[in-house]
Amino acid sequence: MKLLNKTIKPFAFYALLVLAFSIPVYFFMIDFLWKNELDKHHTVIRKQIEKEINDLGLADSSLVKMLDMWNKIQPRTRLTPAPTSNIIKDSIYTTIRYDVHEQEIEQFRGSITTILINGKPYHLMVETNMEEFYETLLIIVLVTILFFALLLGGIVLLNRRLSMIVWKPFYNTISQLKSFDLKGHDTIALQSSDIDEFETLNQALSQLIENNAAAFRQQKEFTENASHELQTPLAILKSKVDLLLQDNSLTKEQSEKIASLNIPLAKVSRINKNLLLLSKLENRQFAENELLQVSTILNENIELLEEHFTAKNIKLESNIDKHIAISANHSLFEILVTNLLLNAIRHNQVNGVISIRLHQRTLTFANSGTSELNEATLFKRFTNSNNEVPSSGLGLAIVKKICNTHNWTIDYDFKNHLHHFTINF
Amino acid sequence: MKILIIEDEADLAKNMADYLITQNYLCEIAAAFHPALEKISLYHYDCILLDLMLPGGDGLSILKELKRQNKQDGVIIISAKNSLEDKINGLQIGADDYLAKPFHLAELSARIYSLIRRKQFSNSNIILQNDIQIDLLSKTVRVLDTPVVLTKKEFDLLLLFIGNKNRVISKAALAEHLSGDIADMLDNHDFVYAHIKNLKRKLSDAGAGNWLKTIYGTGYKWDAG
Repeated sequence: MKLLNKTIKPFAFYALLVLAFSIPVYFFMIDFLWKNELDKHHTVIRKQIEKEINDLGLADSSLVKMLDMWNKIQPRTRLTPAPTSNIIKDSIYTTIRYDVHEQEIEQFRGSITTILINGKPYHLMVETNMEEFYETLLIIVLVTILFFALLLGGIVLLNRRLSMIVWKPFYNTISQLKSFDLKGHDTIALQSSDIDEFETLNQALSQLIENNAAAFRQQKEFTENASHELQTPLAILKSKVDLLLQDNSLTKEQSEKIASLNIPLAKVSRINKNLLLLSKLENRQFAENELLQVSTILNENIELLEEHFTAKNIKLESNIDKHIAISANHSLFEILVTNLLLNAIRHNQVNGVISIRLHQRTLTFANSGTSELNEATLFKRFTNSNNEVPSSGLGLAIVKKICNTHNWTIDYDFKNHLHHFTINF
Repeated sequence: MKILIIEDEADLAKNMADYLITQNYLCEIAAAFHPALEKISLYHYDCILLDLMLPGGDGLSILKELKRQNKQDGVIIISAKNSLEDKINGLQIGADDYLAKPFHLAELSARIYSLIRRKQFSNSNIILQNDIQIDLLSKTVRVLDTPVVLTKKEFDLLLLFIGNKNRVISKAALAEHLSGDIADMLDNHDFVYAHIKNLKRKLSDAGAGNWLKTIYGTGYKWDAG
């Protein structure tokens, strides 16, 4: 979830809460004001009627006539003599009923009071048509919803605008970090910002990257220098072993022991060479690509290793398209093919199978195996995924690195008791 | 045959010299840039073993100087930097071969042997060893006028033995000679045995003497007598 959406949510919820609470408040306020105003109005009317009629000074008979007339032509009021035995107390009321004039259900506010005309009590009923409560409520709800929509829309729009402006340096920094490669550069040029928090962030990031780059550089140089420095002592050791073997006075056991030194020596040389190769790959010291005929290189390497196929009685099934050419560094591609082929031979079973398939833009090496390997650690340095067979632990790391260098992908899967390594050019 | 070893690591230079002396080479050692320059200007060598990283200067400058003086000495670069650029660069300037450290002395000796043969016998290059006759140009082998058909690997092995007469060559060195860079990735060197066995059989079938001896547990030796 984006940061902005996260902030909008509680805002919107709070606005909804406030507006929802405002609905009953508005309703009761309007209702109260309206009724209060109508009641005042009724009081005024009552006073006026009482005064005006008394001022007329009508005789009782005329008064009866007039009242008759009054009650006929004056709607919404009724003036009737009150029986002295049953004088109703003044009251105000709200009622909803069918109105003959409007011909629909209407809400009325009314008051019944007792007035004195010519000293006799009369009941005066005055009613005024008012808006039905549910209509009022409906209008308030509708208006509230409208305003909530306006508010929400405004918040979203404003936030979007603000994010473009306020968060721009932040997103800039993120996109720069995403594309930053520690191997290629030592420093990062982050856009400066006038917002203090982002500026602090940028400074902290630059510092962090600089330190990391320095550590990375040192590590790289260390690997490279260490490997170089090891070559000469290794050469001395190797030549010493060769010389020692020439000694005629050695017993058979002694010379066997000396000759067996060649095995660990070869392994150390291999690790050393591979570490050098890896650091060169990381430094991108293999720039020149050329157009390579894949089938030629495959067949050359297969031929070179033929005797190792026969030694384990491994059956080779190859299905190689002759017309596929790729742009790659020649020596790196050879290393890749050799490593994968040797891998397929080394981790194979006696009477096993190796299948090599080159079709369109994919090259697959498959070999017999017993169980699936752990893909997560397969291409990492020195993580031997199989403890049965010794290896330098760098072969597949190099293969992976070579693929990365050329922007190829390599995938591993285990199907039908075969390990498959598939390269997509 | 005179060889100049230009190498600043005294131990390694001495090991190389000790081994090469047994193959009847005269060895001189130069441990730094300037003594090396002096020696190449004053004397002629059949082969110069050149380390690229030297105290006092770059080994490639020595190579350039040799070419400038129009000297015909064969040069094998021996470098700790196993980089393709160095190799291409060196060969372009005029080195004859390139050997990356660490290497087996047998390999070095075989390279020197074939370099000197190439330099000295450019037209007909036929090696006579015991009762065996090897034509380096046509890559054919005869034993007492009987042609012997060898595979490429058997032929390569034969040359390695001829370049290291009376020396014990370990299985590791043989494997490295046959498989090059990938030898140290192989689990075992038993495949060497198959090639040696075939080579021995083909030579003896053609009537050659039993020159190729097995040294149990360690390797093989060409006993030239």
